[in-house]
Amino acid sequence: MIPETLKTSLEARVASAITPREAAVDVMKELQTHYGWLTDEAVGEAAVLLGLSPLQVEELATFYEMIYRRPVGKKVIHVCDSISCWCADCDTIIQYLKDKLGVGLGGTTADGVFTLIPCCCMGMCGDSPAMSVGGVPYGKLTPELVDKILEAERNNG
Amino acid sequence: MPKLIIDDIPVEVAPGTSVLEAARSVGITIPHFCYHPALAIAAACRLCAVKLLDGPVKGIQMSCALPAQDGMVVSTTDPEALKMRALVIEWLMLNHPHDCPVCDEGGECLLQDFTIAGGHSRRRYQGKKRTFQNQYLGEGIHHEMNRCIECYRCVRFYQDYAGGTDFGVTGSAGRVYFGRFQEGQLESPFSGNLVDICPTGVFTDKTGRFRARYWDYQFAPSVCQHCSVGCNTSPQNFQRETIKIVGRRNDQVNGWFICDRARFDKGYLNDPQRPREPRLDGATCGYDVAVDAAAKSIAEFVRKNGADSLAVVGSPRLSLEAMILLARLARAAGGARICYFGDAAQQQGSVAAARLLHEENSAHIREIEQAQWVALHALDLIEEAPMLALAVRKAFLAGAQIFLVDGNPIPERNTPPFKYAAVESLDDVPFEGGGKGIVICGAGRKDPELLAHIASSGAKLVILQPGANGFAAGLLAQEHATSPLTELVAARQVRGVVCFEADVPEGLLSGLEVLASADWRRGPVEAKSPIFLPTTTWVESDGTAINYEGRAQRFQRSRVAGLPLKGLDPKYYGSATEAVTLHPPRVHRKDIPGGAERDAWQVMAQLIVRLGGEPVVEPLAGKWSALRSLDPEGEGVRIFDIVSGE
Repeated sequence: MIPETLKTSLEARVASAITPREAAVDVMKELQTHYGWLTDEAVGEAAVLLGLSPLQVEELATFYEMIYRRPVGKKVIHVCDSISCWCADCDTIIQYLKDKLGVGLGGTTADGVFTLIPCCCMGMCGDSPAMSVGGVPYGKLTPELVDKILEAERNNG
Repeated sequence: MPKLIIDDIPVEVAPGTSVLEAARSVGITIPHFCYHPALAIAAACRLCAVKLLDGPVKGIQMSCALPAQDGMVVSTTDPEALKMRALVIEWLMLNHPHDCPVCDEGGECLLQDFTIAGGHSRRRYQGKKRTFQNQYLGEGIHHEMNRCIECYRCVRFYQDYAGGTDFGVTGSAGRVYFGRFQEGQLESPFSGNLVDICPTGVFTDKTGRFRARYWDYQFAPSVCQHCSVGCNTSPQNFQRETIKIVGRRNDQVNGWFICDRARFDKGYLNDPQRPREPRLDGATCGYDVAVDAAAKSIAEFVRKNGADSLAVVGSPRLSLEAMILLARLARAAGGARICYFGDAAQQQGSVAAARLLHEENSAHIREIEQAQWVALHALDLIEEAPMLALAVRKAFLAGAQIFLVDGNPIPERNTPPFKYAAVESLDDVPFEGGGKGIVICGAGRKDPELLAHIASSGAKLVILQPGANGFAAGLLAQEHATSPLTELVAARQVRGVVCFEADVPEGLLSGLEVLASADWRRGPVEAKSPIFLPTTTWVESDGTAINYEGRAQRFQRSRVAGLPLKGLDPKYYGSATEAVTLHPPRVHRKDIPGGAERDAWQVMAQLIVRLGGEPVVEPLAGKWSALRSLDPEGEGVRIFDIVSGE
């Protein structure tokens, strides 16, 4: 159950859209922030708010990689494995992240801080290889830089 | 009109036609998966590549998404296009399990045909294949997601065409999944079309899985008998059992699709409990013995009580042929009364439809699709004519206003796939410029005065009939000025009846003597009748049906009458008393077990001869003879000219 205030603000967001479907991503992201991930319950709530069927919300939710349909850690690491980053040897970075965090792609660290997910382009081809941690983008990655970023991200909450 | 050249053949097509359709019009089939004539273009499979050698566009193009234009020179056999198609089909097949010998789609698989046509025949891929969990999608459809090649036909049909919201496509890239949010029965009453529309074996008919292969089936063009729309179907039979029913294209009636009732409601055709033996006073007997006894019983009754107190009773379940002969049988019996309807309200509506409708004011499906407004009068459309709901949806999507006039709340399971406004009366519907407006009336409440009022308004009319052949029953009831059985009994004018596939209202039977009855199903009439003659169902008989818009369509026998081999009664295995294992018959016989059924019109024809009437050579005589040459594979003909031409 979402709180009444959140519900009211989301209803206002939907009402201000030209078509309800247009507000779907915003609604899903808000609910995701509330629950930590987009739970089945949240999909149902989004469907009611948007006037869609749960399946139609699910179609959108599973299409976007920033919408999490499974539980994730406190901060999600999206590491790019698309063509530019691949040319810049992202494979080494991804392997380093896996070893360092002790998880595979899609996994969450034992302390529940990080979830590692591959991503198919962040628009940072010029700074490849790239990743984002908790929404903060980082480019020109090296194993040393990854160490520093993880350390800093772990410490700043 | 764009003129182009395809493989050296000059082609001229209507504006907006795609290159793929243009090629098809001159007999060139370009391999394709996602393209379907009834659906919007998706260009999802990338298989229909052709090379444009000259003209406004050059190079490799997807022919399904490319409108034909003047001056195009298209090659479907260019080596570059062939190479592209071979490579595309190769990666489309990357994840397909190639389980052809065990796949239920075997023999009906478009994927198989076009894989070969696309030039891919050897698998090079050695890696692991993507796999999915299947979902339970209800009792009608089996889901086998691993066979999917992502053509999007299913979701384009289910959501875009049929307006369903509980089935769709989730995920992206290599995780694309076609299914529901949670397992469960598909909600759309058109979900069965996924079977026909899926080019691979992802969706198959669960009710007929693994029973037979395509080449085992006996089938013939048929017409659905579950409502008065008259959708074209093809029942597929194996060993005297109707295994599957699939849609058959008729652009004037049902387009490409059929509803789930037409597809899945077939158990009664195979029911081993169907009455299949002629009976005389509770004991089985030969067909001729029963017919003789029926004729004798009729003659005796007429001699004692007068022909006036006898009624021959039919129903909208009969074929046109049988309905015509019903009247001749009444004459042969010395002038017995004729009933085509048991219920007065049903007859009233049907006769009014037959009287009011003509070539100009009777709307057919194309006109519904193009209407500017549609008024559903006291009607649950999904219940009474599901396929028309898809036509109304088309109109709705094109901007038409839909009204539900004077209707009861529609049950949730029958929510139509379009939005409508509920209004109190027809006065609330804007009739101006009624030429593009259509009123659809339900069978439930058909006050003739109301119908006459609507007919005079200039709007086009759809009057749905109670039963598949209700229009013919209405026509003949009007022609012979018949009364419904309820009225005749209430006026104490009829004391005895002979019933042919008749639905006699409950409570009427107690005051009636049933002399004989002929039917393919059990019921109170059959139980009370001392002489019983089994008849064939529409799958086992030839006949003509007239749908709600006055269109006569021929259906053909798609299997012989008789008990299905599966579940054959042990008595046919050699012993009537001892329990025997299911095994082919041990007694030699020339006749098919339980195969004594005859078409209702043939039973009537025999009775007519025995009662001293002229032998019936052809039931479609007189004005109806124009229908003799009706092509079962054609679009049918409207009968208004035939009726008025008398």
